[in-house]
Amino acid sequence: MAKPLHQPDAAALNWIIASAIVVMAPHTMEQPVWLSFAVAGLLAWRYAGLHHAWYQPGRIIRIALAILLAGAVFKEFGTLLGRDAGMAMLAGLIALKFIESRTIRDYLLVIFLLYLMVTGDFLYSQSLAHGAYMVLAVILCTATLVRLNLEKARLPQFSFRLAGSMLLKALPLLIIMYLLFPRLQGGLWGLPSDAYAGRTGLSDSMNPGSINQLSQNTEPAFRVEFDGPVPANKDLYWRALVMWDTDGREWRAGKRLPLEGAPIRKFGEAVNYTVTLEPSNKPWLVALDRPSSLPKIAFPKSGYLIQSKRLVQKRIRYEMQSQQQQRANNLIRVTRQRSLALPENTTDRVRSLAASWRQEYSSDREVAQAALRYFNQNEFVYTLQPPLLGSNPVDQFLFGSRRGFCEHYATSFATLMRAAGIPSRIVVGYQGGEYNENGDYLIVRQSDAHSWTEIWLQGEGWVRVDPTAAIAPERIELGIDAVRQLQNQGLPLGTLSPELLERAMKLGAIARAWRNSRLMWDAFNLQWYRWVSDYGWSRQEKFLNSLGVFAPTWLGMLAGLLGAVAVVTFGIAWAMQLRRPPKDPVLAAYKIFNRKLAKVGLIRKPSEGAKDFAERSAQCLPDQRQSILTIASIYNELRYGEGSKELLEKMRRLINDFKLPKGKLLKF
Amino acid sequence: MKTPAMPWVDPLSGKTVSLTGRSLYMLPTRNGFMFGLLLFVLLLAAINYENGLAYALTFWLASMAVVSMLYTHRNLLGLKISAGSCLPVFAGDTAQFVLNLKNELDVPRLGLSVLISKNEVGRIDLEAGDQGSVVLPVKTARRGYVDMPSVNLSTNFPIGLLYTWSRKIQIEHQCLVYPKPGPQRPIIGGRDHEQKRELGARGDGDDFIGVREYQFGDSPKHIDWKAAARGQGLQTKRFGGEARSIVWLDWDSLEGIDAETRLSQLCRWVLDAEEQGMIYGLRLPDSTINPATGETHRHSCLEALALFGN
Repeated sequence: MAKPLHQPDAAALNWIIASAIVVMAPHTMEQPVWLSFAVAGLLAWRYAGLHHAWYQPGRIIRIALAILLAGAVFKEFGTLLGRDAGMAMLAGLIALKFIESRTIRDYLLVIFLLYLMVTGDFLYSQSLAHGAYMVLAVILCTATLVRLNLEKARLPQFSFRLAGSMLLKALPLLIIMYLLFPRLQGGLWGLPSDAYAGRTGLSDSMNPGSINQLSQNTEPAFRVEFDGPVPANKDLYWRALVMWDTDGREWRAGKRLPLEGAPIRKFGEAVNYTVTLEPSNKPWLVALDRPSSLPKIAFPKSGYLIQSKRLVQKRIRYEMQSQQQQRANNLIRVTRQRSLALPENTTDRVRSLAASWRQEYSSDREVAQAALRYFNQNEFVYTLQPPLLGSNPVDQFLFGSRRGFCEHYATSFATLMRAAGIPSRIVVGYQGGEYNENGDYLIVRQSDAHSWTEIWLQGEGWVRVDPTAAIAPERIELGIDAVRQLQNQGLPLGTLSPELLERAMKLGAIARAWRNSRLMWDAFNLQWYRWVSDYGWSRQEKFLNSLGVFAPTWLGMLAGLLGAVAVVTFGIAWAMQLRRPPKDPVLAAYKIFNRKLAKVGLIRKPSEGAKDFAERSAQCLPDQRQSILTIASIYNELRYGEGSKELLEKMRRLINDFKLPKGKLLKF
Repeated sequence: MKTPAMPWVDPLSGKTVSLTGRSLYMLPTRNGFMFGLLLFVLLLAAINYENGLAYALTFWLASMAVVSMLYTHRNLLGLKISAGSCLPVFAGDTAQFVLNLKNELDVPRLGLSVLISKNEVGRIDLEAGDQGSVVLPVKTARRGYVDMPSVNLSTNFPIGLLYTWSRKIQIEHQCLVYPKPGPQRPIIGGRDHEQKRELGARGDGDDFIGVREYQFGDSPKHIDWKAAARGQGLQTKRFGGEARSIVWLDWDSLEGIDAETRLSQLCRWVLDAEEQGMIYGLRLPDSTINPATGETHRHSCLEALALFGN
């Protein structure tokens, strides 16, 4: 029968309103605006009812509001189920439940629903920042829970401290349950289609400017942990897509071509690494040029690509191996056709430029080198802000603007090669990456997006030719950030001596600290991801293996979980028993008094009684004589005679009011 | 949410009872079951969406509920329970037993409920190291001693998900119940003028007239301390002066009535005599209380009546 007899007071309700606001605030980004206003309105209505005796809605109005809410949500989402509609309903229902709440139990239910709302919010983002914010929300909700159960109001700190210390003590248990609770492979039922939203990143087609628009986007595209040393920046070509078809303006992957088959020749060192790919909502996977293994989640695709079996809708991790290789000696007919197809709008001067090289040089390799020289020795500029080009960008770029980004060089080069009769294709992916020494991994950002060319050389197979390297070697050797930095300083690309380059690249102390903290944060995030989002069945199995547990069973894990929870709970209980001895209020007050006196150097000797000490102090502080002696006598009375609450209060008051002489700081 | 009766469990008894772990029990409240349902829903969401943070929150809240169990338990564990004084009452009135609760922890114990046969009779918050009391009203019917009622303590601190309750606690303490005062009737009693010079200790006069042996109820002010120091035992100094009539309240003067009614009548007369400032003595078949006056004397007389025949 220990049921709460008290009714929640108005101050307790303010706590709930605050909790609701904190929990729901991040969600206003995701939900329709009208809903945020409706929820805010209902909270405000209740608040006005509490503090200004406003009219509160009766039963019929509340039911009508609930029906209205369901109708509006259905109109907005076309359903009442799924993540988005479910969250919208939940937010509305919390507000409606709150406005009709009268008993403690109603309010507890509101808090419980707020916890549910926090969980729902995690379906939108599992980032570290989001998690950290929600920790605050959970602390506030729990403090509100404590506050609601208090019969007599206490200081807010009390509720926070109690909630905080409970949540803190719960952490070891949380970690045990989190690590040991058996994770399922795949969800319980199919996820609604709205569980994932669109993302920025590489697209399936490429226009002049489509990669350039990513150059400002510093969001990570993926992260790579290498088993061995990180290869040099100039070798970090990350393949994602290969484009064969063009109309002279846009390049596309086009219809799928037959696979090239197994490698006939491998050369160079094999590199092993693990990729953590950000969601792209696309099926492509990135791999270092060129992939020589196939992860379980992927299948191979023509153009030496690997592709995921499902759209990449959340972060995934996969292990890869890459090695330089040649896969075929001859180009099959359909592939040759498509990699030689010239768009109709190829102008005569483009054709004749290619023809002139063709006449001059006998081998395809020499023709390609001539084209690179052409870029290098004419007034071509590599820029992050290329001018917009019209309907025939290749011609306009080669003979007009001559200012371009990687895609301008790649598309022009590929077109020239095709005009000279050399099969060519465009590879889109990323180049370079930022090494994070804090976590020993490489961050590749959207701004590292890059495109280059591959040409077919008889006997060598597809060979990578990056025309950007001919005009801006810094882009390939140092990365896109270096280019940006040099251009900001107004320095030309491709001509600087190594010493000048080094000096120009040197970061100031603040920039270095900023970069370092940014990388530290990123490393932290990667760990967060590994243990939060990626901690599924396979990672759990690996973790248990590392503990020496192999082939764990469900039952075994649950038994281990319960055992560990029991042991740790007893540990916490034991730690809670280790309490300090009860405080003696009289002694505590007297100690405060002694601390005050100690400020002027009056320190009680161990052998000195309270009375003797008071006499000595009173001699030093004649103005305070009266109160010093009174405090001492009350103290003696309380300690050794008959005390009373009133007397203790009097002593506390006297000690509180006791002031040391101002102005002169006496030392005795 | 009912505290199970558990008649098979022996109550804790003694002058002072300290709640040990063995005397405490715990179950979830209705809110606790609701919280369990919430956790289940959260777990389903976490599993279905394979969401690490949803798992984390589910387990955090579950762990917090486990930790709150320790707090609920500690809220009663080690609590010291004893009885405060209980003033005598007349039969038919309500005795006010005082249950003292002492918190020897350096943390507050909040929301302690005191229950008598499943009904909450009091709620109290105890600050760290503090003590407090709850009044247990008990309706009396008969004269004599009445036992302090047995209580259960219960709490659902701190977040109301679980509640813990103690075994039945029987503090060994009794409250005296005087007989119910009878109707107002003139006092029929033997007057004893011969003894009027040998009054009780507390005469009104100032003249010292000698000493007699100390009797319970004599004012300490009149004890001859010097004699006591000489080892002559406690003696009461007597003072004489203005004479007052002495009245004997006599069991035998109420012949022909049953015992309880006689006791009630005598009770009424004791009250009246005291009120009228008389010097009165009480004669019962098995005991006699010499004439005197004052609060203590009144209590002695009423006590004799209350316990008559016991």
